[in-house]
Amino acid sequence: MEQHKIRLSVNGEDWELAVAPNKTLLEVLRNDLGLTGAKEGCQDGTCGACTVLMDGKAIRSCLVLAVEAQGKDILTIEGLSKGDDLHPVQEAFVTHGGVQCGFCTPGMILAAKALLDSNPEPTDKEIRTAISGNRCRCSGYTKIVESIAAAAQGQRRR
Amino acid sequence: MSDHSLVGQKVTRTDSVEKVRGEAKFTADLSLPGMLYGKILRSPYPHAKILNIDTSEAEKLPGVRAVITGQKDTLPYKWGVVPYTRDYQLLPIERVRYVGQEVAAVAATDEDTAKRALDLINVDYEPLPAVFDPEEAMKEGAPSLHDDKPGNICVAVEIDEGEVDKALAEADFVLEGSFSAPEEDYCEAEPYAVLANFDSTGVDIWCPNAGPHMKARPLSAALGIPTSKVRLHRVYIGGAFGGRSEVSPADVIVCLLSHKARRPVKIVYTYEENCNCIRQEVAWSTNLRMGFKDDGTWTVGDFKCIVDGGAHASTGPIAVSVPYMELETTYPLKNLRYNGYRVYTNKPPRGMHPEQNRAFLIPIEMHLDMAAERLGMDPMELRLKNAMTPGFTTATGAKITSCGFTECVQKAADKAGWREKKGKLPTGRGIGMACGSVMSGFPMGIRGGSSAFIKFNEDGDATVISGVVDNGQGNESMVTQIAAEELGLPLDKVRLISADTGICPLDPGAYSQAATLISGGAVKEAATDAKRQLFEVAGKMLDAKPEDLDARDGNIYVKSDPGRSVLLRRAVTNAMGNNITIMGRGYRWPKIDPDREWVSNPRGQFASTYSYGCSIAEVEVDRETGKVKVLDMTAAHDCGYPINAMAVEQQIQRAATSSGICGGVFDKILWDKGQTLNANYLDYWFPTALDVPHIEPIIVSSNDPFGPFGAKEGSLSISISMYSAIACAIHEATGVWLKEAPFTPEKVLQALEKEYC
Repeated sequence: MEQHKIRLSVNGEDWELAVAPNKTLLEVLRNDLGLTGAKEGCQDGTCGACTVLMDGKAIRSCLVLAVEAQGKDILTIEGLSKGDDLHPVQEAFVTHGGVQCGFCTPGMILAAKALLDSNPEPTDKEIRTAISGNRCRCSGYTKIVESIAAAAQGQRRR
Repeated sequence: MSDHSLVGQKVTRTDSVEKVRGEAKFTADLSLPGMLYGKILRSPYPHAKILNIDTSEAEKLPGVRAVITGQKDTLPYKWGVVPYTRDYQLLPIERVRYVGQEVAAVAATDEDTAKRALDLINVDYEPLPAVFDPEEAMKEGAPSLHDDKPGNICVAVEIDEGEVDKALAEADFVLEGSFSAPEEDYCEAEPYAVLANFDSTGVDIWCPNAGPHMKARPLSAALGIPTSKVRLHRVYIGGAFGGRSEVSPADVIVCLLSHKARRPVKIVYTYEENCNCIRQEVAWSTNLRMGFKDDGTWTVGDFKCIVDGGAHASTGPIAVSVPYMELETTYPLKNLRYNGYRVYTNKPPRGMHPEQNRAFLIPIEMHLDMAAERLGMDPMELRLKNAMTPGFTTATGAKITSCGFTECVQKAADKAGWREKKGKLPTGRGIGMACGSVMSGFPMGIRGGSSAFIKFNEDGDATVISGVVDNGQGNESMVTQIAAEELGLPLDKVRLISADTGICPLDPGAYSQAATLISGGAVKEAATDAKRQLFEVAGKMLDAKPEDLDARDGNIYVKSDPGRSVLLRRAVTNAMGNNITIMGRGYRWPKIDPDREWVSNPRGQFASTYSYGCSIAEVEVDRETGKVKVLDMTAAHDCGYPINAMAVEQQIQRAATSSGICGGVFDKILWDKGQTLNANYLDYWFPTALDVPHIEPIIVSSNDPFGPFGAKEGSLSISISMYSAIACAIHEATGVWLKEAPFTPEKVLQALEKEYC
């Protein structure tokens, strides 16, 4: 199959890649760039485990063809922390019990970050709506919502 | 118990940071040099003879490195959880028994080539008559799935204790009813995957599992190699919930492909495969009679259950027995009859499930509410009247030690506002209550016990070696915390090597609710042993007797004079400098009657201890649409003592959601002649964050005498009761009793139309 050249930025790093036209952004991130934080959970865009940010917006990378990411700025979970320092949303998930098996966690955290970047004071309903595309089997969502609310409060204090 | 430095508090789990950073590697994230990609060819028929499999064209496809079939590549080994259930040829030779059953497999240089190779495999089938309903399967003349199992009865559990018929005759009133529920999916977040590398040293395997030792022995038998050459390694696991406990056909297939290709092979399941081809939860129907006295005492129960187990036995005897055993330890009944029949049908095999089983336990709790209604009693008062208490011996001989039943009911009721709300909510709203009890570790033979080791590193940090498995519930953090508490070290000074069959001794795994009691208990014993040896050394350094010492926060000190102390790491290096080896060893076996057997002798102690819990749910039902909205859930669970209160809260909230929302309102698998119709998240309802209300978790501590620091299992009493609380709440909201779970809008509307009572 003919390969297409794409240029994109991933976690602040510029990449030029040759990708098959039928490959998804998720596959390219995981298999070509070794960024396995985004997960393949359902293969049909319903679980949210593949969530990454594209130009600041939370998207399902399993539903985006890699060629559609041409020229885009992608943020994966691996790009969120700075060295040893966790992003406030990551820190909140750790300290408030928002993590269990961890499979949904990268997608959940990025969906939360996208929410807080546009709405720093979300209500409980707004938080639940923002993560309603991210499925979690382990938690019942209560501590995830509490973690996001805590992150919002922490960011407001800064 | 309040003077612990770690145990009993809310502690940040030790495994969270790598997960929030995306560094935690699950099986599909792993790769090895030269790795091939595997794909499995599956039967399109629910029941058929395999006449011939021609793989010649597939083998010629460029990029294909191995093709296997049952006829050419497997040993005649059948798996079963106990010897009398060995009916599962993991890659079949002669017959397929469910749609999706594995028939052949391919390993190729990339996934697309492997998929194309599957299309080139020709299988000649002779379709056979199939049966999909257990009642039909038991009739004479029904298609037979296993020639040695007449009537397609896989397992019959028959218990008759006390004087059931006499008690029914003497009861002031007897309630009769029936209830049923279809299969559920486990809905693990992580689709199943296996990576194996089979070379001259044996086979290394990574896969999601609930007990690597439970897979290693069957794999060694299936592959014909010593158990010590089957090395399952620890990997991050995206949930199991009872669906990944046993060996899976994929495990054997990947090992065989790797052996044939002499290269590592990885298979990653699609979500549809994950739903159909690992395990599902059984479909179940119950007919019951429950007898009461006019003062509300429940005196007798008579239950007959038909369980649709699918095409193979899986954990058959266990799955049929455990719901009954949960009833036995929840309410103090002496007159109990239970006839539970697991039946073969041409559907995928079914295993254990944390919400085991809604179609048995929901009708019981509903009929308790019916009795309360008849007597004009508050359902809470009826439950308190029939509360389990410590010291009771159950109908089949299990002794109850720690028991927080009454405290759970009272605390849940207080928190939920039960007295203010019961009978007083506006039309269309209701509040319901249910109770549950779950064993901490049940009979698992030689795998029922756990052993652990502790060693010290040169910097004084400790490393625990334990077979414990973590599926996301926090078991790794829990045993690390136990070791740190007992050794007197900060949490970040203790490491864990776990879930590796090459290194770690036998352990029951994250199975039968044994992790805290048994795995944690063994680690505590190992830490106590290591500490004793360390205190011998430190005693000499401090000129004190070992028995006068204690340790906390990395310091060993004289109890009567804490200023006399030495850093624990100095004691470690002192020992090393004096050629003294400190190695902690511990083991823990459950207190189980060794003669008890699921089928042949269901009598005697069947677990060391039992958890207790009370679930309360408040719902709103729309009489126009039938939609049930769960407004609030309160769950009080007696875990003995919380090792990590944060983790126990996490588990209680999971249990409430999984039971109440999934088991109660949403979950069901739809079928058409053995084919699932909704193996995807669009059609199989799974709750989002908008579907789940706030869940208030309450921890009750009954301080179990056997559990480490008094701890026992962490949440399952809520898993088995919240769906019942919702059923009872729906009755208050609508006046109807439902006859089937889940409580979909369709079912609610049907019941409202019939005004079924």
